[in-house]
Amino acid sequence: MATLTIDGRTIEAADNAMLLPVALENGIHIPHYCWHPKLSIDGSCRMCQVEVEGSPKLMISCNTPVRDGMVVRTTTPAVQKARRAVMELLLINHPLDCPICDQAGECLLQDYAFSFGSREGRSREPRRKLQKRKDVGPRVVLDQERCILCRRCVRFCREITKTNELGVFGMGDRSALDTLEGTPLANDYSICTADICPVGALLSKDFHHQLRVWFLKKTPSVCPNCANGCNITVNHYRDRVWRLLPRRNDAVNDTWMCDHGRLNYQFVNSTERLHQPLLRQDGQLAACEWEAAISAVASRLRRSAHATQGRGIGAVASPHLTNEELFRFRQVLTVLGVQSIDVAVRTGLSDHLLIKAEKAANARGARELGLSPGPQGSGLPGLLEAAASGQITALYVCGADLWETADRALLTKALEKVECLIVQDVFRSPLAERAHIVLPSATFAEKNGTFTNHGGRVQRINQAFELPAGQLSDGEIFSRLLRFLSEGLWTFRPEAVFEEIAAAVPGYAGMNYASIGQGWQALAPASAGVAG
Amino acid sequence: MATQVVSVARPQPMQQSLGRTALAILIGLRVTGGHFLRNLWGFIRRKPTVFTVQFPEQRLDLPDAFRGMPVLVQMDNGKERCVACGLCEWACPTDCITIFPAETADEVERYPAVFDLNLSRCMFCGLCEEACPEEAIVMSQRVEVGGYSRRAMVWHKEDLLVPVSQLGKRLQHIRRSYDR
Repeated sequence: MATLTIDGRTIEAADNAMLLPVALENGIHIPHYCWHPKLSIDGSCRMCQVEVEGSPKLMISCNTPVRDGMVVRTTTPAVQKARRAVMELLLINHPLDCPICDQAGECLLQDYAFSFGSREGRSREPRRKLQKRKDVGPRVVLDQERCILCRRCVRFCREITKTNELGVFGMGDRSALDTLEGTPLANDYSICTADICPVGALLSKDFHHQLRVWFLKKTPSVCPNCANGCNITVNHYRDRVWRLLPRRNDAVNDTWMCDHGRLNYQFVNSTERLHQPLLRQDGQLAACEWEAAISAVASRLRRSAHATQGRGIGAVASPHLTNEELFRFRQVLTVLGVQSIDVAVRTGLSDHLLIKAEKAANARGARELGLSPGPQGSGLPGLLEAAASGQITALYVCGADLWETADRALLTKALEKVECLIVQDVFRSPLAERAHIVLPSATFAEKNGTFTNHGGRVQRINQAFELPAGQLSDGEIFSRLLRFLSEGLWTFRPEAVFEEIAAAVPGYAGMNYASIGQGWQALAPASAGVAG
Repeated sequence: MATQVVSVARPQPMQQSLGRTALAILIGLRVTGGHFLRNLWGFIRRKPTVFTVQFPEQRLDLPDAFRGMPVLVQMDNGKERCVACGLCEWACPTDCITIFPAETADEVERYPAVFDLNLSRCMFCGLCEEACPEEAIVMSQRVEVGGYSRRAMVWHKEDLLVPVSQLGKRLQHIRRSYDR
């Protein structure tokens, strides 16, 4: 341990730590561009210079190790003069694009120019002309004039994705950021370069010219698109999701997220979403009231359960639902005595970094909560075969993953045979078209709850905005169903339901929303162990 | 303290009489008639003798600092100067501006695909003009903004465009007043 003094405050730091992160961790803000907590040190921007007692010149704090007894000052006139000079040099060639630049409002160059720069520019020479709007990849656009050559993106492609698409070419004031010949910036994490770009040089095409960032409201959440459960911030405005940004969680996703997860949010804003329950009457699906739909579901399921002690009902849970909702669904199935249960999970490609094969956020949670077949159960194929052979007459399906994952011939046969198909989904999917009762489902942006990621980390998602008027969340649907099926006043308040889970499921013992916070908490090792 | 009774003379209400009423009417008619005759005299000589503007046929020459409804500056090539930066939308205290940006192939890559101004909410405060970094929205001298429906009170980009040649004095005025 080293004990040093920064701006008169005595601070303890690890021996090999660098000055800049130590200062930031202790709430002393030193402006910086090229340093990033998850990338190597570059030392190219010179913005983080500080005065260290005993050294003749200013030192860049990002690359100065702490020493015992070190005395550091970050706001002396010499430091301020150096910052003003750095800002002036950076702004000599920076275009006055702020009104048309998507970064405006969250731009470090703007912020630091305001805080540390001088009001007037002294340069009279024309600014250098480089390529604007350069198409460097399928999801990222580059403006070379705006680049301040901090090389964060270059280091990201070299150290994190190890794909090396970007480089700085030319020398001196002719340096420019570009892609290497023949290698477009097309890796699975390319938009992260736009995140870490301190200015508006690299921008996400998806958000390009969409909305000024100061209109956005931000809600911490978890990415719903794969089992990794990357921490994200939902950026929303007027009850629409405009973009997803990664949120730092060193145990799960550092500060990154994949492009697929980031761009797959349009379903929340879709105008084709279901908003009303549908009931099949005279062969046609027609909109109906919630009460009518839920009582129809309850009476059909109860009739079937009475006739077969629950063996005539099959249930497919959605891995997109929260733990709380799945717990309530499990309770519905327990009341009915349903045995044939599984969770349908769409799978795809995975990689070494973040992307996981299971393309849903809560498949692990569904299994932990008992929505997968036991050791002697036969799972989805068995369930569908039982339906195709007429043993299962009522099928309750949450989500559309079943349609995409199951063997299509077997599924079609099963659906033809089933007497009552209940589908709970966000869209009027092909599966919903074949249903007898359709219940509209809510998306991750509209509910509170928890997801359990592939490694058994329980993380909270937060409601960004209200459901459209007249729509119910999935948990509310299950609770109302329980009111029909059993005694008791079933309600759905996610925090309270999570406490029920903590009391009932050993893996979740001792957890509550406060203990999880906006971070994560691991499942108790009794369940399956935490890894990755 | 000893009490004391004081008699107070109560004024009698004015007696209405035909003579008094006729007199009051005549006094009023003298004022009206005087104005009429003076205006008539001015009308005959074609030199107005009182400050009456025959709106809408006649209009005042308003000072440059006058704030009517905001309009969008149209450049000589027919396009708007606005780049949809959204600062007026943010500055507007009544939230009457709605902008949807889009991209063009022009040198300035961004333009407002939609620029709606809800004039039933606008209060002519001029904060949009002050916020604008491009001198693209300025206060005009137009105040006739009525409509027969709420929808008609929302003016679109095409309705708001005014050629820059007609706005020179206002542009000079805002450069003076905002120290640009």
